[in-house]
Amino acid sequence: MALLQISEPGQSPEPHQRKYAVGIDLGTTNSLVATVRDGSAEAIAVEGDSVILSSAVHYGKDTVTVGAEARARAVQDPYNTILSIKRLMGRGVDDIRRFGDQLPYHFAGSDGGMPAIETAAGPVNPVQVSAEILKTLARRGREALCGGEGGGLDGAVITVPAYFDDAQRQATKDAAKLAGLKVLRLLNEPTAAAVAYGLDQGEEGVIAVYDLGGGTFDISILRLSRGVFEVLSTGGDTALGGDDFDRCIATWLAAQAGLGADLDAATQRRLLGCACHAKESLTSNEQVALRYGDWQGVLDQVTLAELLDPLIDKTLRACKRALRDANIGVDAVQEVVLVGGSTRTLRVRERVAQYFDRPPHAALDPDQVVAIGAALQADVLVGNKSSEALLLLDVIPLSLGIETMGGLTEKLITRNTTIPVSKAQEFTTFKDGQTAMAIHVVQGEREWVSHCRSLARFELRGIPPMVAGAAHIRVTFQVDADGLLSVTAVEKSSGVSADITVKPSYGLEDKVIARMLQESYTHAAEDIALRALREAQVEAERTLESLLAALRENGAQLLEERELNQLERAMEALRLAHNGADATEIRRRMETLNTLSEPFAARRMDASIKRAMQGHRLDEFDQ
Amino acid sequence: MAANLTHFEIFGLEPVFELDRSALAVRYRALQREFHPDKYASKSEREQLLAVQMAAQINEAHTVLREPVQRAAYLLELAGVEVPPEQTTDDAQFLMQQMRLRERLEEVREQPDPAAALEVLADEARGLYREEQARFAEVFAADNLAEAKDSLLTLQFLVKLQAQVEIQEADLFDDD
Repeated sequence: MALLQISEPGQSPEPHQRKYAVGIDLGTTNSLVATVRDGSAEAIAVEGDSVILSSAVHYGKDTVTVGAEARARAVQDPYNTILSIKRLMGRGVDDIRRFGDQLPYHFAGSDGGMPAIETAAGPVNPVQVSAEILKTLARRGREALCGGEGGGLDGAVITVPAYFDDAQRQATKDAAKLAGLKVLRLLNEPTAAAVAYGLDQGEEGVIAVYDLGGGTFDISILRLSRGVFEVLSTGGDTALGGDDFDRCIATWLAAQAGLGADLDAATQRRLLGCACHAKESLTSNEQVALRYGDWQGVLDQVTLAELLDPLIDKTLRACKRALRDANIGVDAVQEVVLVGGSTRTLRVRERVAQYFDRPPHAALDPDQVVAIGAALQADVLVGNKSSEALLLLDVIPLSLGIETMGGLTEKLITRNTTIPVSKAQEFTTFKDGQTAMAIHVVQGEREWVSHCRSLARFELRGIPPMVAGAAHIRVTFQVDADGLLSVTAVEKSSGVSADITVKPSYGLEDKVIARMLQESYTHAAEDIALRALREAQVEAERTLESLLAALRENGAQLLEERELNQLERAMEALRLAHNGADATEIRRRMETLNTLSEPFAARRMDASIKRAMQGHRLDEFDQ
Repeated sequence: MAANLTHFEIFGLEPVFELDRSALAVRYRALQREFHPDKYASKSEREQLLAVQMAAQINEAHTVLREPVQRAAYLLELAGVEVPPEQTTDDAQFLMQQMRLRERLEEVREQPDPAAALEVLADEARGLYREEQARFAEVFAADNLAEAKDSLLTLQFLVKLQAQVEIQEADLFDDD
């Protein structure tokens, strides 16, 4: 039988070979990498014995340092030491100006609307800084999983705050691309935490995940049912976290110690260090003695509570909104999970317990729980584990809309809609003979465009000239399972698909990423060629493997002999190219094979749909 | 693709207003277990794309059927009744009630305890919303499409009102 001939020539990996996947928690203050080994997830040591990598990057003239060593240089060399870069991800130059006085950096011009920080090594943007952290984590992950062997990682799940908007998510994915990682999924941090807890404890019911990190706050309400995690709502604040606690305490310190308001960068850093130390000390002591210069004093729990309560109030109001969005009362919440280092602060635990009227879960290390959840999901997505066990249904955190006449927003996809989702909207021309149209996509809940975040501007070109109002341009907005938006458009009466030029408001265009990738290969051209070849080969292997599995499953039922032979020939051609050394040839063969297998993919999907719609009575679905 | 299936057909449910919510939830999870892009992570790019589209269609159907107003509008659409978005009802009594509710919403800020006044208003709006759903179910089941359309317009107003209450609430606390 024809099918059996397809299986071997050894170049494509065995279908059930174990894959190497990691979960990465790319945090504001600390980052972690975790993986599943022998059935259980664990964080990987990254700095000595510690599983925590300080999210700090120091730029010297010729060297880049990441981690604790970099953080240690923050006081002497504040301008070249980048901390809390996550706060700047996906932000524009204007955003930065707003919290400018808190950042000791020198900002240079901009990279596609994105701020660039001037360092000894030249200007760097937030995506590049994050990529340095990711590279270090990926390297440790690779060493731990594959030993010193040449093999690479097959993929990574990277976590983001649930409240991250499209630009912030895209920036994170770009950073991963720059670090040479294949992103299996961007996973919301609270969802990751729920996975880590849910699987361990076999919970059923409604869970609230309260996630207060160094720089971001997230609240997510989830329903867990037979291994399906359904996010009901999510909310939060992308600029509220433990850093703000530190700043709050530092301001109090400066006032107590009689320092002025106009403090230089080094003094600010020292005060923040002192504040952070005080905060940490108060997680296990009633009070802490402080000394700054000639001044000494005491900070106790009561004063700390007074300082922090306004910030904690803000988080609890977000909890209230999230519950309302989920359409449930606070009494319906069965479990509360604490995530993020800032939930170590006793006052936070106290207030959260009070609000939800139950003691929160904190059994797992709040620093590790997100990375562990991500590792479990990565293990499923890469195909090591039967995917029956776990399904995550997440939501889009902020509404997506477009600008209409007069600067108003029209919402197309409302917040807390389950993803993936797609919505189509029809537009028409308002001038005779109009052939182009500009569309401005924004994200946020407010009525005025100026109060929302500008995500991208699209230009539709190539609309056939018609009288005003005659064109019917159908624009489809699709949000994928990573929460990322893509847009397509077609003019209905003529069937012309309009060209779309995407100009991200605060992001990097693909070609800029490609350029930065090239620049990041420090060495000669052959290095670049070698890497391009390796990448093409890996992709070819993946393509062959997935097609082979599909053919084995139902190739005989869904394809005619002739089609099957055609596919086999194209696969053989790709296999030959794969063994050669020409990346362009591999890509060409891959494209041919992909085009050729499109009808097969469509028939497989149709067969799945038919199977799902027929022959199943409702009670069967209840299994 | 499943483009020719109605939202009800996707879930194997009868096209009625009062539907079995737990059956909907169970069937929804079963379908996503089959078609969610995560289940296609190791499949070809083309199949991944198809899975995203299918999962999006399932999600859209689920959202429409789960939300009473959207479900009501969809039922009328299937029955061939078009409801333009800007149309208002000409039920005089209801128009009066609308006006009074709107005025109260606008005056909330001048109340001695705005939060409490808003809470009362929100409760009232929720109650009206529940009653109106019952009316829609009844008239639609009786095939009285004209009245069902009127009822839908009322439902739409009440949903909008509740959304405005929420915005007021957020503004009251001065949050973004």
